[in-house]
Amino acid sequence: MPIKEKGYTHWEGELKKSRYPWIPITRKGIKLAFKKKFFKFTFFLTLIPAIVYLAGIYISERLEDFAFLVENSKSVSFLKINPGYFNSYFTQDFLLFMIVVVLVFCGAGLISDDLRYNSLQLYFSRPITKKDYFLGKASVIAFFLFILTLIPGIIFMLMKIIFSGNLRFISDYPWLILSVIGYSFFITGFFAFYTLFVSSVNKNRRYVSILMFGIFIFSDILYGIFKGIFESEYFSLLSIKANIKQVGAAFFGQKLPHNVPWIYSFLVLLFICALAGFVLNKKVRGVEVAQ
Amino acid sequence: MKAVIMTEKLSKWYGNILGLSDVTLDIEAGITGLLGPNGAGKSTFLKLVTGQIKANIGSVRINGEEVRNNHRLFSKIGFCPESDSFYEEMTGWEFVTGLLKLHGLSSSEREKKALKALGIVDLEKNKDRRIKTYSRGMRQRLKFAQAIAHEPEILILDEPLNGLDPLGRRKLIRLIKSLRDEGKTVIVSSHVLPEIEAMTNDIILIHQGKIFAQGDIHYIRDLIDAHPHMISVKCSDPRKVASRFIKEDFILNIDFSSEKDTFVVKTNNRDEFFSRLPRIFIEENIDVKEITSPDDNLQAVFDYLIGE
Repeated sequence: MPIKEKGYTHWEGELKKSRYPWIPITRKGIKLAFKKKFFKFTFFLTLIPAIVYLAGIYISERLEDFAFLVENSKSVSFLKINPGYFNSYFTQDFLLFMIVVVLVFCGAGLISDDLRYNSLQLYFSRPITKKDYFLGKASVIAFFLFILTLIPGIIFMLMKIIFSGNLRFISDYPWLILSVIGYSFFITGFFAFYTLFVSSVNKNRRYVSILMFGIFIFSDILYGIFKGIFESEYFSLLSIKANIKQVGAAFFGQKLPHNVPWIYSFLVLLFICALAGFVLNKKVRGVEVAQ
Repeated sequence: MKAVIMTEKLSKWYGNILGLSDVTLDIEAGITGLLGPNGAGKSTFLKLVTGQIKANIGSVRINGEEVRNNHRLFSKIGFCPESDSFYEEMTGWEFVTGLLKLHGLSSSEREKKALKALGIVDLEKNKDRRIKTYSRGMRQRLKFAQAIAHEPEILILDEPLNGLDPLGRRKLIRLIKSLRDEGKTVIVSSHVLPEIEAMTNDIILIHQGKIFAQGDIHYIRDLIDAHPHMISVKCSDPRKVASRFIKEDFILNIDFSSEKDTFVVKTNNRDEFFSRLPRIFIEENIDVKEITSPDDNLQAVFDYLIGE
């Protein structure tokens, strides 16, 4: 007898929404990143500066044992563990470059693959919101970037305390922990927006990878060209890398690398995030819209 | 009986393009066929029902609850999209369990439900193969499996029979019917009338974003039968065959203009025409190349119904 004649339905399921529905999305993204060829090697390469800086902290406490390594005044000043040391780790060219490389591996496909495989409609027909979706994807980026920024920053501080055997470092720079946390969150937030934005503009992951890398490098080249012609530091605002360095220096209370107020750089990066958020909201929807 | 899905004055535009216009419907438990030609607004309707897109005007309610932004409600809905939505590198098992994770189910629950769903669609043995190695029919069944895996009350199936071979079709139709018998509400969209006919008598006709008719399929059939049918015959001597029909009352028109070896007949008694045709072929020793019905598709039915 068909149910229509019975006149009732008997669904026994439970209406529920997971408390953290974004976690499966994050887990999947992290797993997929580690499945990629050369990713583990690349990620290890990216950790090398952290290892070197950690070794620097150790050496700074045992200068007499490592006198053969610290022969000139430049080395000695580098090995002074202060906010400048942290700033030089967080804003060094190699780390920023490698962060983009890592993002290409772990972030390029985050949304573009969903667009390519039409998966958005499957996500959004389930008990997850757009916010959960973005949070899940952004958390993949946060996972990798925190390993490169926040975690090394905290480890550096802990190791400094352990190697020196006292809390003087903390009392000298009580605000440094906030700088480390603030800057790590800021740079992670920026790169999360940047990566998801670029990942949402095309269905082809390779194209997205090139674009992600291209925008980062090209913005810096553009700065170099304009600075060469007009000799104005204000063109540093065109460069993502230069803006990050400016904001980094401000976070750690260091001399700004470019003669431009850091707030301008901060606003430029914030503007990129806002633009990315706007585009993401438009691009990510559960349906292909008829044009 | 109380309607499970209720839509009220539902309208959706994509810029200047009308997706759906002023749709007010009550859908009860059981199978409802959503029938309409390509671009009629079927997918738009289904995506509005599954809360994936926002209506410009109107509302959708499921068991009295507003669907839009009511994500909790989505645990009672199973959606099988028209287009493939697979990560090709994943296995069928990873695909189904991965989507079950989004429902917040425990690992053991996920495994149990995924196994059951894959078993229902006969993909148990192939569950560990990568999706990229699946045939068209297997992909279609996998899509169906992910829709039923969390055991929803309402199933929204967008062209679920596309790409299936006759055996696969029959199996899936049987399966959809069994879900109806379990008390589920199933909406199946298709542009092929016989597909819907095989599953249900309750249909909704949708065309150009508007609901054209709703009710029993026989009503639609009668509407179609009240209009002349066109039949195209391709054979070795079309004029000789046509001459045998020329004086018959049920023949309204014979046209030779299309191709050299083809004639097109317009008749208001298709059964009579088909009962006589084979005898004429045999008597006149005619080679038959092709017999088609140019207007035996849904677009033509709609053209008739709207009087074009």
